[in-house]
Amino acid sequence: MIEYDDIERKMVLKLVYYGPAMSGKTTNLLQLHEQLQRNGRGDLMVLDTRDDRTIFFDLLPFFLVAPSGLKIKVKVYTVPGQVKHDATRKAVLQRADGVAFIADSQHRERASNVNSFSNLEDNLALVGLDIDTLPLVVQYNKRDLPDIVSEEEIHNSWQSTGIPVFCASALKGWGVVETFRRLVALTYARLDSRFLLEERHGLDRDAFVAGLVRPRAATGVGERGGEV
Amino acid sequence: MSERENIDYVVGEEKRLIDLLTGDDVMPLLQAACRAGASRVEVRDEAQGILWDHGLSTGSVGSGTLPGFVSAAEELMVEGEPVGDIRLLAPESCAGVLKTILALVGGALNTVITSNLKRMLTTEIHTRVINQSYDELLAINARLTESERNYRELAENLETRVQQRTAELKQAYAGLVAQQQMASVGRLAAGVAHEINNPLGFVHSNLHSLQTYLQRLVEMLQFYRARHSADGEAAAEGDALWRKLKLDFILEDLDDLFRESIDGAERVKSIVSDLKSFSHIDALGTEKIELDVEVDRALGLLAHETPPGTRIVRDYRTITPVTCVGGQLSQVLLNLLRNALQSRSEGLLLEVATGFSGDQVWLSIADNGSGIPEELRSRVFEPFFTTREVGGGIGLGLTVVHNILEQWGGRVDIVGRPEGGTRVEVRWPRGADDG
Ligand SMILES: Nc1nc2c(ncn2[C@@H]2O[C@H](COP(=O)(O)OP(=O)(O)OP(=O)(O)O)[C@@H](O)[C@H]2O)c(=O)[nH]1
Ligand SMILES: [Mg+2]
Repeated sequence: MIEYDDIERKMVLKLVYYGPAMSGKTTNLLQLHEQLQRNGRGDLMVLDTRDDRTIFFDLLPFFLVAPSGLKIKVKVYTVPGQVKHDATRKAVLQRADGVAFIADSQHRERASNVNSFSNLEDNLALVGLDIDTLPLVVQYNKRDLPDIVSEEEIHNSWQSTGIPVFCASALKGWGVVETFRRLVALTYARLDSRFLLEERHGLDRDAFVAGLVRPRAATGVGERGGEV
Repeated sequence: MSERENIDYVVGEEKRLIDLLTGDDVMPLLQAACRAGASRVEVRDEAQGILWDHGLSTGSVGSGTLPGFVSAAEELMVEGEPVGDIRLLAPESCAGVLKTILALVGGALNTVITSNLKRMLTTEIHTRVINQSYDELLAINARLTESERNYRELAENLETRVQQRTAELKQAYAGLVAQQQMASVGRLAAGVAHEINNPLGFVHSNLHSLQTYLQRLVEMLQFYRARHSADGEAAAEGDALWRKLKLDFILEDLDDLFRESIDGAERVKSIVSDLKSFSHIDALGTEKIELDVEVDRALGLLAHETPPGTRIVRDYRTITPVTCVGGQLSQVLLNLLRNALQSRSEGLLLEVATGFSGDQVWLSIADNGSGIPEELRSRVFEPFFTTREVGGGIGLGLTVVHNILEQWGGRVDIVGRPEGGTRVEVRWPRGADDG
């Protein structure tokens, strides 16, 4: 958590989109910006990219006020996926409240997915976060491409971890909101146990999720994306 | 690389306005806003505390507006969230400018905030964490500085920008007023023409009938008079009365009276039809128009505004019609001729000349009036500028002329004359099919 101020009744959370280079983290944020209502979110801040590759990070903030008056701000970041930007990844990961790991579905990206995930494990340990309790979702992106790992294979490799896995095409727009919604829901569960959001602030899980994830009028997009 | 160093910098820590702006960023803009017409400017944080201010020190803008002043505010945003605002106070007379200043200064501050935020994030990550891509950082900061420069420059040229915007608005407004004026003049002319035409029609035909009827009565009168001339006493009495009533003179004058009246009615008829065709109320697009005829029509319509004893010298040399929008040409002529006619209350010498030169049509209108001082000549085309006394006109005439000529791809110039007075020269391209 970035900040919790009981007197000012303000809570600032951080969610991080992690994953290998070019897996579609920035595209996920662009889609959220596109598919969610303006009301309740801020503007997308893209911090200097070079040829599609994030050098620092991107940021999309969301806002919500609990019935108690507690102001909740959720800052959603992407990290740069390129290996050389590891320092930046750590700085972004600091005090994260939840992580979405965006994997690239293409066969040839298998190794980089694995490397990136173990890099996530290392860095979480380094910044003092426990991967077993941290809200975490995985998204297999680029499902619109040929030569991708099968859903069955994905299922088999992740089932034992208990981590929710989603299929998506950030480019086409499906699966993106679903991934985000689950991450937000998991984040709520953990916050509620620590800050008694429901008891003290009258904010239950559904209201939290509905307040942060407000899709624009149904677009038909998203039908195909789903949990594996 | 020592990967194990402790990372204490947290991306995403909340920033307030005071963390993101410095007095160096803000004050030049606030000062510029006051130079551009604001009386007082404040930048406040979320809690409404004043961070920076400039101008009048009559309490704060927010705490109840002073009588005779107006205020306006714009939110300052960080990451899409309002974190404070900028407020302006200005005299009521500057209300229009106020919005422009606010938009420019508010926009500039928001941009400075965003780039400062980016700079801070990038710089902090890199200096605190590692300097593996120091060159990239330098490059990014250079780009940020470049994009910001434009906004910082605003502090220096805000006044000019506000003036430009205001001038643009004024121009647009003047165009609107002129259009309305033109439309209403046209409607009025058409209305008057219609109203006059009917009664004029029967006055005209009744005069003719009356003339015939009277001729018959006179014939009858003369018949009786001839018959009774031998009738001694009665004839003498009749003659006396005839002389007393000056019937000889009247009979002679009757013809003149009728001729003059019928002439007069016919003249009214042609003025009305001139008025109608001069307003070009029926024609919206371009027409072929005889410039010289049009000038004379305009002079005719302005007859009542022409000071007594005015001498008009005409030198017309356009032999073929010119193609233009008639209503606009009328506007040009009326405005220029009216100015010339108002330049002197007696002893006016008005010289009007037209002609072709190359592929241009020109028109020159000169008077021997009081003239326009050199230093004002560049300003007379500004909307609402007038050298006349208050009430002598709203100062749109030359603006209208200028705008129309601009539309035609032509120009209008004011030339001083060594012998005193003003010469206005108008020229515009003849167009392909005028030759
Ligand atoms: N076909 C396809 N292309 C995608 C999809 N998602 C992203 N891309 C493309 O993949 C490229 C990289 O996407 P980004 O979102 O910039 O990737 P990133 O994860 O932010 O990359 P880094 O910033 O370098 O870590 C872009 O050209 C995207 O258009 C997808 O679902 N399908
Ligand atoms: Mg990216």
